[in-house]
Amino acid sequence: MNKKYMALGLSAALTTSLLAACASTAEPTTSGENETSEESKVVNVYSSRHYDVDKELYKQFEEETGVKVNVVEGKGEELLERLNTEGENTEADLFITADAGNLHQAKENGHLQAVDSDVLESNIPDKYRDTDNEWFGLTKRARVIVYAKDRVNPEDLSTYEALTEEQWNGKVLVRPSENMYNISLLASFIEVNGVDQAKEWAEGMVNNFARDPQGNDRDQAKAVVAGEGDVAIMNTYYMGLMLNSEDAEEKKVAEQLGVFFPNQETTGTHVNVSGIAMTKASKNAENAKKLMEFMSDPSAQEQFASANYEYPVNESVEPNELLKSWGEFKEQDINLSVLGENQQEAIRLFNEAGWK
Amino acid sequence: MNWYAMKRQLNGWAILSFIALLFIVLPGVIVLVELFAPVNDNWQHIREYLLPRYVSNTLIIMFATGILTTIIGTSLAWFITVYDFPFRRFFKWALILPLAIPPYIGAYTYHGILNYTGVIQTTLRNDFGLSVNQSYFNIMTIQGTIFIFTLFLYPYIYTITRAFLHNQSSSMIENARILGRGSWDIFFTVVMPISRVAIIGGVSLVLMEVLNDYGVVKYFGIQTFSTAIFSTWFGMRDTSSALKLAGTLMILVIAILTMERLVRGRKQFSYATTKVKPLKPRPLSGWHRYAVLGYVSTVFGIAFAIPFIQLVAWTVLTFEQVFTATFFRLVWNTVSVAFIATIIILVFALIIANYTRLFPSNMTRVISKVTTLGYSIPGAAIAIAVITLFLLLDEWVLNVALALNLGQTFVFRTTLIMLIFAYVIRFLAIGYNSIESGFEKVGKSFTEASRMLGWGTVQTFFRVDIPMIKGAIMSAFILVFIDIMKELPLTLFLQPFNFSTLATQAFKYVSDEKIHEAALASIVIVIMSGLLIFVFHKVLDKEAD
Repeated sequence: MNKKYMALGLSAALTTSLLAACASTAEPTTSGENETSEESKVVNVYSSRHYDVDKELYKQFEEETGVKVNVVEGKGEELLERLNTEGENTEADLFITADAGNLHQAKENGHLQAVDSDVLESNIPDKYRDTDNEWFGLTKRARVIVYAKDRVNPEDLSTYEALTEEQWNGKVLVRPSENMYNISLLASFIEVNGVDQAKEWAEGMVNNFARDPQGNDRDQAKAVVAGEGDVAIMNTYYMGLMLNSEDAEEKKVAEQLGVFFPNQETTGTHVNVSGIAMTKASKNAENAKKLMEFMSDPSAQEQFASANYEYPVNESVEPNELLKSWGEFKEQDINLSVLGENQQEAIRLFNEAGWK
Repeated sequence: MNWYAMKRQLNGWAILSFIALLFIVLPGVIVLVELFAPVNDNWQHIREYLLPRYVSNTLIIMFATGILTTIIGTSLAWFITVYDFPFRRFFKWALILPLAIPPYIGAYTYHGILNYTGVIQTTLRNDFGLSVNQSYFNIMTIQGTIFIFTLFLYPYIYTITRAFLHNQSSSMIENARILGRGSWDIFFTVVMPISRVAIIGGVSLVLMEVLNDYGVVKYFGIQTFSTAIFSTWFGMRDTSSALKLAGTLMILVIAILTMERLVRGRKQFSYATTKVKPLKPRPLSGWHRYAVLGYVSTVFGIAFAIPFIQLVAWTVLTFEQVFTATFFRLVWNTVSVAFIATIIILVFALIIANYTRLFPSNMTRVISKVTTLGYSIPGAAIAIAVITLFLLLDEWVLNVALALNLGQTFVFRTTLIMLIFAYVIRFLAIGYNSIESGFEKVGKSFTEASRMLGWGTVQTFFRVDIPMIKGAIMSAFILVFIDIMKELPLTLFLQPFNFSTLATQAFKYVSDEKIHEAALASIVIVIMSGLLIFVFHKVLDKEAD
């Protein structure tokens, strides 16, 4: 009889000590979050931007303000789903994504709050922020056509829509449809051209693919240079990163490519933003606002532009020399919220068109 | 059941086993409930446009990987056990090493080697002026996926089959030799049939890895069941349909496991004689020697040496940039979390295995079955279940704290506890299998003798049972530890603030299209797993002697 109790007691003791063990390991990361009082010196961020420049900026922010930046990194759609699950119990104060669609979805689901800040309003132009000030763009990226300089005359290029024409049959390269940049691209077409034409475009593209969509944006660039196709759709900053790559071969690839801004005569080139928003449940709202303002500041914007080849949203900051060399261009004239509104429709159209 | 019997069942072992069981059953229940929930619009869309492709891709990959890993795994096991050739002792354990390379790391490494700016094409282009047809070098296809899975998963079959051949087949093979059968004949008419249980055990492990893989298919853009779950969940934001897909996957895995059990159940391993004599390898002569050596080194080269060397080269290229003070933090995170989770898993596995062994009944048989089924629950389902559970827990803690006027409370969600909890659910089955088979081998007679001589269950457990299955505990530790170190989807989705592991860091670099930068984190995983595998091999060897 005694032995049974001994077994019970022993196992209970074992479990408790193990739980205690992992609780104590967990402590360093959570000790800050427990202080819900006003003067706590932390801000918790869910971010899908995991570039080195962001980490550098967080560090500068910590040095300037003494506020510690805690980060969970992940894909935008995963972090959004995490916000959906956690609801008003989330520990996150800020949500940073590389796509306006996800920011809009977060707003629609009621996870965000309006931020009233003169600094943000003067740093970020109207068209790059939410109409209710629930999210703010930080950087811009254009989704452009790149072409093989040796095979394609840029005069033959005109619009995204023209890529579905007969002359590009078997020559078009683009990444798979599950990618958020593609989903937002199609979402913008639904807004600009209507659902039917957007679907026709997706089908026409599938018809003209040089190969089944695969890989990432850089892979499309390599495939063009390797001769698998002649043109590819990709984001501008990847061209910047490749041209400045430490890998000599990547550099060579990028040097053989030209950048073309499509739809200049018509609806404009598709532009997306990466942006920042404050959660409704934020417990460190003051610190969060400070970090938002810090990120829109010319000095931070300058670093985004020079380290990651993104277009700054702050108009007082010049883009990088390389970006300037590509020239100015006409952007799609849409409210970026539609990228979120049409997101589900775009995913369905891709599936129906058989775009892998 | 009468009162006495009930009381006999309800001891500390039982209570702890039930608690562990509850954790495992919970996500399974969430999935199954959803499976019967009414369908929505998305589900129709998924069924019409996506499901046919998901299912056919998944089946093709499973089928081809199953066959190829069987051929490679069993042939290697055969050569290593039966023949003697140069470097045999080295290859004996080196052939397990590909297991140290997680398939997703193998996938991006091979893509990096083969693509347009990779080392092969660059050399051909710059030094020989040769341009090649890209489609021959394209690995991001279904064939490429099968290639990757085969290379990095065949060791499951190799290890299990080799151990079996080494220990159990000597008398049969020697008899066949005496009766004048040739090597080919023996391989197909004796070895394959008698080791089919071992082979099927290995194949079912391979297939479950394939079904639950997220990294490879995600990186290659191949649409399979596991990518479907995540893209329905995150892309279409439809948790309900995602769980339905997860449920379908779970049923598929349970079917595989049941099949494996059926095959094993009918034909128990048994020794032909009381004295188990390991097979003595026969020296090979002439060209046979070099043919076998050539085959074995080719497999080792493609599945380990080449990707390893490439990773080293990239590490050298990016070392200064990537090796910062925070890198130690990554290693520490990875090791400490894997260690804690593994220990918890081993404790639970030991308790459950000992309970089901000492108190055999219908109930304990169910507990044992359910524990092994934990492996079949898709990662996505575990993630959803764990988050739901921890939200409830935090709410409860808060209410208790308010009632007791405690002011502050501890928040459990977004902590390591949540992640470790998920690991325990995911990997308990692996630890349990290993420990259960350790107990099976030892039998109950020593325990009974000890009880007869006056020690209680607990005392016997610590002073007799545990020392007797030390080897099994050690291998359980190694297998679980390696699996947690490599784990990707759960770690990505449940990570606490400021927490990255080597695996998530490597994957983040790769998703940012920085393959070279991912090399350092990857190679640390490979080296640590490699060392553990070496120890594992030593443990197995010692057990065999």
